[in-house]
Amino acid sequence: MVGLSVGEKHFIQGGIAQDLRTDGRKRLTYRPISVETGANGSARVKMGKTEVIASVKAELGRPNSSAPDKGKVSIYIDCSPTAAPQYEGRGGEELSMELSAALRQCLLGGKTGAGAGINLSSLSIVDGKVCWDLYIDGLVINIDGNILDALGAAIKAALSNTGIPKVNVASTAPSDEQPEVDVSDEEFLQFDTTAVPVIVTLTKVGRHYIVDATSEEESEMSSAVSVSVNRQGLICGLTKRGGAGLDPSVVLDMISVGKHVSEQLMNKLDSEIAAAEATMEEE
Amino acid sequence: MAAKGGAAPATYSPSPTTFKKKRPPIFTDVDWVRPDGRDFHQCRPAFLRTGAVNAASGSAYAEFGNTKVIVSIFGPRESKKAMMYSDTGRLNCNVTYTTFATPVRGQASSDNKEISSQLHKSLEGAIMLDTFPKTTVDVFALVLESGGCDLPVVISCASLALADAGIMMFDLVAAVSVSCLGKNLVIDPVSEEENYQDGSLMITCLPSRNEVTQLTITGEWSSPKIHEAMELCLDACSKLGKIMRSCLKESASTSQE
Amino acid sequence: MEYVSPEGLRLDGRRPLEMRQLRAELGAVSRADGSAVFEMGNTKVIAAVYGPREVQQRSQQLNDKALIRCEYTMANFSTGDRMRKPKGDRRSTEISLVIRQTMEACILTHLMPRSQIDIFVQVLQADGGTRSACINAATLALADAGIPMRDLVTSCSAGYLNSTALLDLNYVEDSAGGPDVTVGILPKLDKVTLLQMDAKLPMDIFENVMQLATEGCKAVANYIREVLIENTKQLENRRGV
Repeated sequence: MVGLSVGEKHFIQGGIAQDLRTDGRKRLTYRPISVETGANGSARVKMGKTEVIASVKAELGRPNSSAPDKGKVSIYIDCSPTAAPQYEGRGGEELSMELSAALRQCLLGGKTGAGAGINLSSLSIVDGKVCWDLYIDGLVINIDGNILDALGAAIKAALSNTGIPKVNVASTAPSDEQPEVDVSDEEFLQFDTTAVPVIVTLTKVGRHYIVDATSEEESEMSSAVSVSVNRQGLICGLTKRGGAGLDPSVVLDMISVGKHVSEQLMNKLDSEIAAAEATMEEE
Repeated sequence: MAAKGGAAPATYSPSPTTFKKKRPPIFTDVDWVRPDGRDFHQCRPAFLRTGAVNAASGSAYAEFGNTKVIVSIFGPRESKKAMMYSDTGRLNCNVTYTTFATPVRGQASSDNKEISSQLHKSLEGAIMLDTFPKTTVDVFALVLESGGCDLPVVISCASLALADAGIMMFDLVAAVSVSCLGKNLVIDPVSEEENYQDGSLMITCLPSRNEVTQLTITGEWSSPKIHEAMELCLDACSKLGKIMRSCLKESASTSQE
Repeated sequence: MEYVSPEGLRLDGRRPLEMRQLRAELGAVSRADGSAVFEMGNTKVIAAVYGPREVQQRSQQLNDKALIRCEYTMANFSTGDRMRKPKGDRRSTEISLVIRQTMEACILTHLMPRSQIDIFVQVLQADGGTRSACINAATLALADAGIPMRDLVTSCSAGYLNSTALLDLNYVEDSAGGPDVTVGILPKLDKVTLLQMDAKLPMDIFENVMQLATEGCKAVANYIREVLIENTKQLENRRGV
């Protein structure tokens, strides 16, 4: 994707080895993050030059027969061809699919819902009949590395300004019919995002790992591990990219470094989201 | 579906309440017996054979309990004309399920692409792709019956098939997954356990190089638990690696006779 | 339904001959050779231009002029109700074609033989007039990329509802089923490069409506020119000229 000369490659690798990257950052420092929340349930996150938009939409639907007491969440990511010409037509599908799968794994937790950032039971309205379907759409507008972390942050920000309308259920409906529900236009329940984890991707370049890699740095990676960590410091999901094998002890070390970094990112993100919401209210 | 309705009514009417599944209480206890009577840390017996498909350049059949998988390898053969020149080989993975693989017909066919890309990611680190530039190796996996742990079985079976096809690899790829059910870690879970799992951890590794090529975790995990689960998996991987190796030796010695 | 109140106000509070608020920003996508965000009220689009560069597919190469390619995509969340459309549906293909033909007419393609220019337009919010907004964004992005053009193509739509000619229809007015005239012009040369209409209109009214849309295009052109001049000034300042 990025064409680099041998000299440039050495420069990047050498810089990482000396804990001074090409843009002056240390290995475990993020680029400046800016969060902008828009209308109900949407957010734009910029990490350096990487820019993504996430939007959340809730619709009334029927729960699956296999999980009648739970709502449904679907995550779809799209890579806009504006970000890079190779995502034209169906070109972006492979990356979109990989990102969607990774985010699903990092945010939705296990089969029983343990470690899920979004509590599916809270989306249920009438067991087995009506529930909220949450559609999370992500759009990648500009790519300069570390898309997964940016998307994770954007989804967290979008969820935190999502209002789920209050629903009144007519209690008189007989049990075998679809109950009548009345969706309120005025009363909204704020979505609880305290459990939504943040995603930290550690990219291994040479013998060291860095966070928030740019496209140039990513082209030098041997492998990358994305860890999603919640506020309690528990791991909620993990995926690995890049084919090169890692020693198990290195993986464990990367997880613990990721956990450490996630605390800072979580705090940074919370304050950015709060600031973005404050400016929204002022307007 | 209609069979689940219980006493057969005159006309079929779906009533979601009768489907309401309760998590079996046994899974929350500390002492319970696994559906197939294994210990928590005991894998299912593995049956592996190479050379299941004659037309392929290499193939393997794997049976772990009820999970049955066939993988066939075609190539290395010339990459499609439309593809750009590449000085390393390409790997094309495709996983499909038979319609009768699951209890409900055709249920598992939704995320084939995702499984295929996982298979690709776990294999590409093990294959010496630079030994066959400009060419493509096709890996076609068919899950005959899904009985839990499908992906790890597919991966292990695929690496065996690659070896059978004589594709150069750094090592065989062995894959094992662990489910977390309440406080317990169970290795090599069956479908029933997978449906009630709180979390899962899958490792694919190169046993003799002690390298992890792929690792996925879902659910909520603390660091010590990850530690424990990884050790469990790696131990099982090295044992599985030995079984795979002996299977290859066996087939080589019979063909020589 | 009443689209123009007796007081002469439209549903969103505009007068019939009033355009929505315009906003444009250059250089939104850092990796592209040229890019722009263009907003017409609630309609918001991003355009990115890559090129001129080597032709990707040799068979498409043109020996006497540049190859122009265009792709129009809509974000899943751009419309009111969420739809997941497959890429390359009929509507997107048609709009891609319209944008490509319009831009092709103004780019000096003969200056860049055997090369390719890609224009990607992404709709972030759709509230009527996406076609026009996309063309305006593409013009800005092309200018940002420094691609030689005959003139700045601009586009605007106009409609005719409740016996009144309306400038710059929004989504509600657009979906009312009345005539919708989209015009694209080269303002300096005073030439029309794009003219589309659905539904029917008497000839004399059509002339009025088209005249209105053309006026709209000219207003957009003035705004775009201002944005470009402002941008150039900033570039000059940064260089310290």
